[in-house]
Amino acid sequence: MANRVAIVGIGQTTHSGRRPYVNDGELIYDAATKALEDAGLTINDMEAVMAGNMDFFEGHHLNDAMLNLYSGAAGRPGFKMNTGGTVGTMTAIQGWYHIASGLYDLVLVIGWEKHDEGLVTPAISTITDPAVDRHFLVGAIGGLATVSVAYMQRSGCKLEHAAMVRANSSQAAHRNPNAHMREIYSVEDVMNARMVMYPLNLLMCCPTSLGATAMVLASESKAKKICKKPVWMKDHVTVHVEYGGAQFGIGEKRWTSHMEAGARLFKRNHITKPMVETQVFEMYDPFAFAIPMWLEDFLVCEPNEGWKHVEKGDLKLEGSYPVSPSGGVLCTNSIGDSAILRVAEAALQVRGDGGEHQVTREVKQALASGFGGSYWSDLLLLSKTMD
Amino acid sequence: MKQRTQEELIYINKTAKIPYKWRTGEVWGEFFRELKENGIIYANECPTCGRKFCLPKSVCTRDHTRCTDRSKWIPVGPKGTVVSYFMAEQSFLLPTTGEMLKIPFAVGIILLDGATVIMQHQLEETDESKIKIFMRVEAVIKPKEERKGNIFDIVHFKTITE
Repeated sequence: MANRVAIVGIGQTTHSGRRPYVNDGELIYDAATKALEDAGLTINDMEAVMAGNMDFFEGHHLNDAMLNLYSGAAGRPGFKMNTGGTVGTMTAIQGWYHIASGLYDLVLVIGWEKHDEGLVTPAISTITDPAVDRHFLVGAIGGLATVSVAYMQRSGCKLEHAAMVRANSSQAAHRNPNAHMREIYSVEDVMNARMVMYPLNLLMCCPTSLGATAMVLASESKAKKICKKPVWMKDHVTVHVEYGGAQFGIGEKRWTSHMEAGARLFKRNHITKPMVETQVFEMYDPFAFAIPMWLEDFLVCEPNEGWKHVEKGDLKLEGSYPVSPSGGVLCTNSIGDSAILRVAEAALQVRGDGGEHQVTREVKQALASGFGGSYWSDLLLLSKTMD
Repeated sequence: MKQRTQEELIYINKTAKIPYKWRTGEVWGEFFRELKENGIIYANECPTCGRKFCLPKSVCTRDHTRCTDRSKWIPVGPKGTVVSYFMAEQSFLLPTTGEMLKIPFAVGIILLDGATVIMQHQLEETDESKIKIFMRVEAVIKPKEERKGNIFDIVHFKTITE
């Protein structure tokens, strides 16, 4: 039986496209300090520190050293995560393991990325094998464009629905002072953006951002002692599926890591109506079709209904089931930080500390996800109460 | 001048060039040998679930079964069906060559006749309005003297009408 784990401190830097006067370490220091302040603790209280960063994107491989130097982790145990889109959720989950196992009571987890220092798309292309398909992927955008075309084909979703998603995200990000792209776009603005890879135009792709997010995780006894509003990491699922064609459902049964993650999490927690039993979803949504398509894949809504929820406005910040009220990855994407930011933002919603982008619906339970292009999904269930 | 000095302090510009030698392995090695010497595209089969892989797999991900029985290989294609696609209208740096992608660049998710698992490769058609899901295509294979035993021995897939 795993021990209970709570999020007791949350900190994030502001996010942007460029910050010429800041290096990786300074981002880490900023986020870590904010999370510790939020928890009312110091680095000396931390028993272990977990780091998450995709070192290949910036071409350096010393992120563990950066962690030591700038977070205060020196002399403490820890791991670094390097798992693509799931870096951040995996970093949070690593923290969970170390407390759930009974090893530690207080763990600091940090995810960061600084995309202004390298090229993301060529780096992402290297997730595929150079012998066979690396030339034909063209980064995350190529892969996500093909799944978008297939989604439109099978569900009836149109380009306009993706534009509605991005317009909604821009409204949400505008209310989030830490988001990167805070400009408000209309559906028409999005439709008229320059095409990058059909069907994804520039605004339907996530930006490349820089930023860091940190959280302090605590055991049940510690959390109750030190924190007025602990957010419980009730459960999480990590799933890998094979890289390849099953996601198209042609020639074989359709099968994705999101489908597997949703099925396992909801079954284990006896959730039969995810849109009722959870009240908000901070989704790792790196392209505009992600929200409708992946709500279906995570089994949160019925097949082919995702885009209808978009059309009805259900997924807006003030809607009946808000998705990514922070503006999501669509407006802020610093990859090693993107997924931990989903967990942090979902936790803020549970605490009621979302500020201007707090959803109108009362939040008792929240979902947060991470996704890696190598067909790896993380899905977390956060809760206001322990049970 | 002042401005420039400051820029140099806060940025260090470097371009790295790192040589790699990637192994294709037993199964892809044989696949590329057949493609180079005979111009034939092969699929292999999982003895447990019966899925027919093109490109072939050494191990079935789902059953954890070795799929190396060469007698079970079957020629597939060269015709197939486009299941999905993307069309790059913006160029990106290619990590394998260091060159910029030549645009427009269309890639199809293709199910070759006889296979049950998809592959991806370049489409000849670059007019987006002419690319349709479920359209039929055929592999254009380089003449024997130009083949090198790699994925580019297939030039691209051309649209066909049947």
